[in-house]
Amino acid sequence: MNTKILENEFEYSKPGSLEEVLETLATKQNVRIFAGGTDLIVKLKLGALPDMEHMLDINGVEELGKIETRADGLEIFAGAKLWSIESDRRVEENYPALREAIQAMASISVRNMATLGGNFCNASPVADAVGPVMCYGGKVRMQSKRGAREVNAVDFFLAPGVSVLEKGELLTSVYLPAPKAHTGHAFVKMGRVKSDIAKISITAVLEREGDRIASCRLAMGSVAARPLFLKAIGEGLAGKAMTEALAQETAQNISDFIKPIGDNRTTAEYRTDVAKVIARDALVSAWKNSGGTL
Amino acid sequence: MNQMNESVIGKNIPRSDGHAKVTGTMVYPSDVIIPGMMYGAVLRSPHPHAEIVSVDTSEAERMGAVCLTYADINPIMYNERSVSIPAATYRDRTVLPSKARHFGEPLMAVAADTEELAHKAVKAIKIEYKVLEAVYDPDEAMKEGAPQLYENIYLGDNKLTVKNNIGVVRNIDEGDCAGGFARADRIFEHTFDLERIYHNQLETKCAVCKPEPDGSLTVWATAQSIHANRQLLARILNMPLSKLNVVRLPFGGAFGSSIQVNTVTPICACLALKAGRPVKLTSAREEDFYSHQKYPARFTVKMGVTNDGVITAAHVKALIDFGAHQVQPLPFMGCTAGWFASLYKYDGNIRFDGTAVYTNKTPCCAMQGYGNPQINFAIESMIDIICEEMRFSAVDFRLKNYRGIGDEFWGQGPTIRSIIKSCGVEQSLVEGRKMTDFENRQRPEDRTGDIRRGLGLARGFHTSGTAGPKEGEVIDYSSALIKINEDGSVDLVTPVTDHGGGTWDALKKITAETLQVPFDMVGLAPAATTNTGYDVCTHATRGVYCGGAAVYHVAMKVKERLLEYAGRLMAEHAYNLEVARRDELGQGVVQVKHFPSKFMTIGDIAKQAQIMSWGTIAYTDSYRQRNCPPCFTTHFVEVEIDTRTGVITVPKVLIFGDCGVALNPDLVKGQLIGSFNRGFGYTVFETMPLNEKTGELMNKGLLTDYKTPTSAEMPKIEDVEVILCDTYEPSGPYGAKGIGEAALASVQAAIANAVYNAVGIRFYKLPITPEVLLAALKKKEQEAAK
Repeated sequence: MNTKILENEFEYSKPGSLEEVLETLATKQNVRIFAGGTDLIVKLKLGALPDMEHMLDINGVEELGKIETRADGLEIFAGAKLWSIESDRRVEENYPALREAIQAMASISVRNMATLGGNFCNASPVADAVGPVMCYGGKVRMQSKRGAREVNAVDFFLAPGVSVLEKGELLTSVYLPAPKAHTGHAFVKMGRVKSDIAKISITAVLEREGDRIASCRLAMGSVAARPLFLKAIGEGLAGKAMTEALAQETAQNISDFIKPIGDNRTTAEYRTDVAKVIARDALVSAWKNSGGTL
Repeated sequence: MNQMNESVIGKNIPRSDGHAKVTGTMVYPSDVIIPGMMYGAVLRSPHPHAEIVSVDTSEAERMGAVCLTYADINPIMYNERSVSIPAATYRDRTVLPSKARHFGEPLMAVAADTEELAHKAVKAIKIEYKVLEAVYDPDEAMKEGAPQLYENIYLGDNKLTVKNNIGVVRNIDEGDCAGGFARADRIFEHTFDLERIYHNQLETKCAVCKPEPDGSLTVWATAQSIHANRQLLARILNMPLSKLNVVRLPFGGAFGSSIQVNTVTPICACLALKAGRPVKLTSAREEDFYSHQKYPARFTVKMGVTNDGVITAAHVKALIDFGAHQVQPLPFMGCTAGWFASLYKYDGNIRFDGTAVYTNKTPCCAMQGYGNPQINFAIESMIDIICEEMRFSAVDFRLKNYRGIGDEFWGQGPTIRSIIKSCGVEQSLVEGRKMTDFENRQRPEDRTGDIRRGLGLARGFHTSGTAGPKEGEVIDYSSALIKINEDGSVDLVTPVTDHGGGTWDALKKITAETLQVPFDMVGLAPAATTNTGYDVCTHATRGVYCGGAAVYHVAMKVKERLLEYAGRLMAEHAYNLEVARRDELGQGVVQVKHFPSKFMTIGDIAKQAQIMSWGTIAYTDSYRQRNCPPCFTTHFVEVEIDTRTGVITVPKVLIFGDCGVALNPDLVKGQLIGSFNRGFGYTVFETMPLNEKTGELMNKGLLTDYKTPTSAEMPKIEDVEVILCDTYEPSGPYGAKGIGEAALASVQAAIANAVYNAVGIRFYKLPITPEVLLAALKKKEQEAAK
C-alpha cells in the first residue's frame, strides 16, 4: 500500500467511440474501466488491483456522458458525473430520492468526478445511489461485442464487489421508468460525518391511493453482503392504510430481518438499532412526500 | 500633537501570507525541489515487535537504489525532543533501530532517482525477522513476564535499566493531602480515560537534505524549531553546527507533532550523505499515522469538598501509555500535574502520582495542550459532578476555587512557576452565565422527548511559554535581529516558526509598533539556523509571548540607536525625541516631543547614517521571558442529542478567550473556533483502534476510517460566538499572552458536561460516539425499567 504514488505500471487508453471501448474490452487482458476513478484510483493505491494491465477511460465517448429523456423514463449513461445527475431538473422532479442519495455521497469534488455507473460497477454493499434506482424500478443496461442486455437493478448484485457484469461487458446506462402520480420518496443515510461512506442507508418509494399505500419499494445499504432490496416487506405494505403504528411495526420488522456485520464504521448492534429509526423516518417522510397525511 | 495614526496592535489586517496560501504559491517543505534530487522511501516494520536477524539489500542496490540500514548509521542514542535540559531528557532511540518496537516503525530506507523506483526498491529488500511477542496494554506491560521493549535507556548521561516497561515515574506532593481530605465533608473519586488520537495536520512530515560542495548540509524540513533540528542532526552526523543549515519554512500545521525532530529528517540526512546527492523524503498519510499520536491517559481523580463549597485537597493518579519511544513523557507528566495543580486552589494540598509505560505502539508526543485537554476533561468533569451532586452553582463553585490574579501558576510542570498577573476567568464565567441564562437551565431529569438539548460549561487555560523567574527543566529563550534600511523600511530576522496561527504577522506588528513604522514597511527576512540566534521552538503557546518579547526587546534597542543618530542629525538630545508613524509620509519619523513639526523621517536618518558612514541601525540579541502567564478559556456549549440514534450535534457555542491584548483579534477568534472543531472531534468522533493480532491500526493509517468533524458538522458560524476578554498582560509584548493551546483545553469537558445535562449520563471515557451514547441510553432505560 502506498497512497502517494501509483506504483503499478499499466496501459492506458481513452477511445472516442463505444465500438472501440468494446473492442478494447474484448481483446485486452485485465482491463479496468475508468469512469470517474474515485473508486479505481483508491483501489490501485491500496494495492487491491495487482493484476490490472489496462486502464480504459470511457470519458472520451461523448454519448456515454449523457442523460437522455425517453418516452417512458430517463436514461443515465455510464459516464454521467454525479454532479450533473444531482443538478438535473428531471432527476430533481421525478427521482428526488436519487438526488438526495447522490447529495449525501462524498464531497462536491468527488461528485464532480464520480459516476452512477461506477457506483453500480464497484458493487459495494454500501453504494448510496443504488437503493433509489432499485426502488424506482430501474434497470441496468450492458453491452459487449456479443450484444446488449438489460437486468433489473435489484438483480444486478451478487456479492461484495461482484455483479452480473461479465468479462468484456460494459455497463452503458441506468434506466429509470417514469414514476406514477402520488409517488412519495425518501432517502435516509447515517454516516460518521456528512462526507462519508454510509453506516447504514435506506430508500423508500411508495405510491399512495387515498389513505392507503398502493405499493411500496424499500432498499437498504450497508446491512448485507450486497445492496439489499426488501421485496417482501415492501410488498406486504400494499393496500394497507398508512399510520404511525404501521411505520413503526414495519421498521421493527426490518430491524429484525437484517443481519448486518460490524466494521470500521460502526457495530452490528448499532446498525440493527438505528435501522428501525431510519426505516420509520423514511416511511413517514415518503408518505408525506406523496401527499399523504398522518 | 500630530494626528494619531491607528495602532496596528489589536487591528485586524489581512494576513501577509494569505495571498500565497490561497493561490497555492507558498513553498512548504513538500514543495521544495532541488536539481539532481533523489527520492527517499522508508521500509516500515510489518511487526509490532521483532528482531532483525538478517538484511539483504543487494537486489535493491542492483536496481540503482542507495540503501540505508542500521549498519550505516551512527548508533548514537537520542531523544527527538530537545526542549528539556539534557539532564531531564530520556534517550532511547537511534536513526534506525536494530529491533522493531511498533508496527510501522522505520527500519530501513532507500533513495532512488524516482519515487516509483524508491518504493520498488523498498520491496526488494529482504529481511529475516525473529517475531517477538508484543504488548499493547499498559497494565499488561507492567506485569512480570511481559514482553520487554528495552533493557537499557539513558536519562541525561546516566544509563538506566528498564524494569517492567516502566519508562518514567513522576510523583509530586505539595501541602498536606491527607489533612485536606480529612477536613472535607464529601470525597469524590472517579477514573477518566482518554484514547489516543492522531494529529491529522494538513501536511505530512517532509525533509529535503542537500550535501553542499563545501561539505556542509542544507536542510529544508517540517520543523517547529529549526535550531532543534540543526543541533540534533549535527550530533548524529558528527558535524560542526556551522556546517549544518536548517532553513525556516512555512509548514502545513503540526499541532505539536514537529516540536521534536521528525523521525524522517535524520533518515533523510543520512541518505543524502550516503548518496552524496540531495534527497527528499516525504511521509504518506498512512506512514504519518505511525509517526506520532496524542498521549492517551487514564486518570483517577480524588477530591475533597466541604459543604460550603471549598475544595480541600486533590489527588490525581495518572497512567500514560506512551508507546515505543520516549518523546518525553517526563515533562508531559510534569506539565499535566501543573495544569491540574493550577486549575483550582485545593487549599494548597496537591498530589500527583504518574507512571508512564512502554508499549508496542506508535510513540506519543505533544498535541495541542501537552496533557492539558486530557487532565482538563478529568478535572472539569469532576467539578461538574461535584456541583451536580452537592447542588452548587457550577459558576459560583468555580469562582470560589479558581486560581486567579496573585496566585501561582505552573507554566511547565513543578519547576516553572510564576504569579498570575492578568485573568479573564471572572469576566468569562459571569458574562457567560448571564448570556446563556446558565443557572436556569433545565435539569437532565426534567428533559423529555426524542431530541434533547443540554447546556454545559467548562473552563481551562494554557501557559504562554515555558519561562519563569527561575530556570527549570525547560529551555526557553528567543532571539531576533532587526535593522532599519536606508529608506525607513525594516528587516526582521527571526528563528521563530509560524504553524499557521499568524505568529509572523504578530512579530511584524510588534516591530512596526515599537519603531512606529507602517506595518507594510516591515519585511520578514528568510531565515535559517546560520543567520539567527537560538529560539527553542514555537511550542507551549509561546510564539507571540516569548518570541514576540525577544522582538520587542531588540526593537527597543534599535530604537535607542535610531534616536541617538537622530539626535546628532537634529541637534537634539535623544531623550527629547520620540518615534511616530506618519502614514501620509508612508513611513515613521523621529520627532521632538511636544514639537512634532520638527522631525526627520526614519528613512532620512538611516540614509544620513549611511552617507556619513556611521553604520547600519541594527541590533541583535537573545531574550528570556521571566513569566509564564496563563491564557484562559471558557466554553459554554449547547448540545442536541437524538436519543434514538445517539447522534450529538452542537447547535450553539459561546467561547471566551483571554489572550491579554489580541494582536490580531480575527486570528485569535479563528484559533478558538478551529480548536472547538478539534475538541468536538476528540470528544465525539476520533478513535483509533488497534488490531491486537498484528499491531496494525484498524484504519491502516487511512483517513477513510479516521473521521474528524468538518464544517458540515460544526454549528453555523452565526451560532458560534467568541468573546475576547478585556485583559492586559503586563509582562507580555503590548499586553499580549498566547491562545493556541488554551483554545482546546476546556472543549472536551464542556461538551461532555452538556451531554450530561441533556440526558443525565456521565461519560468518563472519550470519545462519546453515537454507538457509545446509544448503548448508554439503552442501559439507562433498562435499569429504569427494573
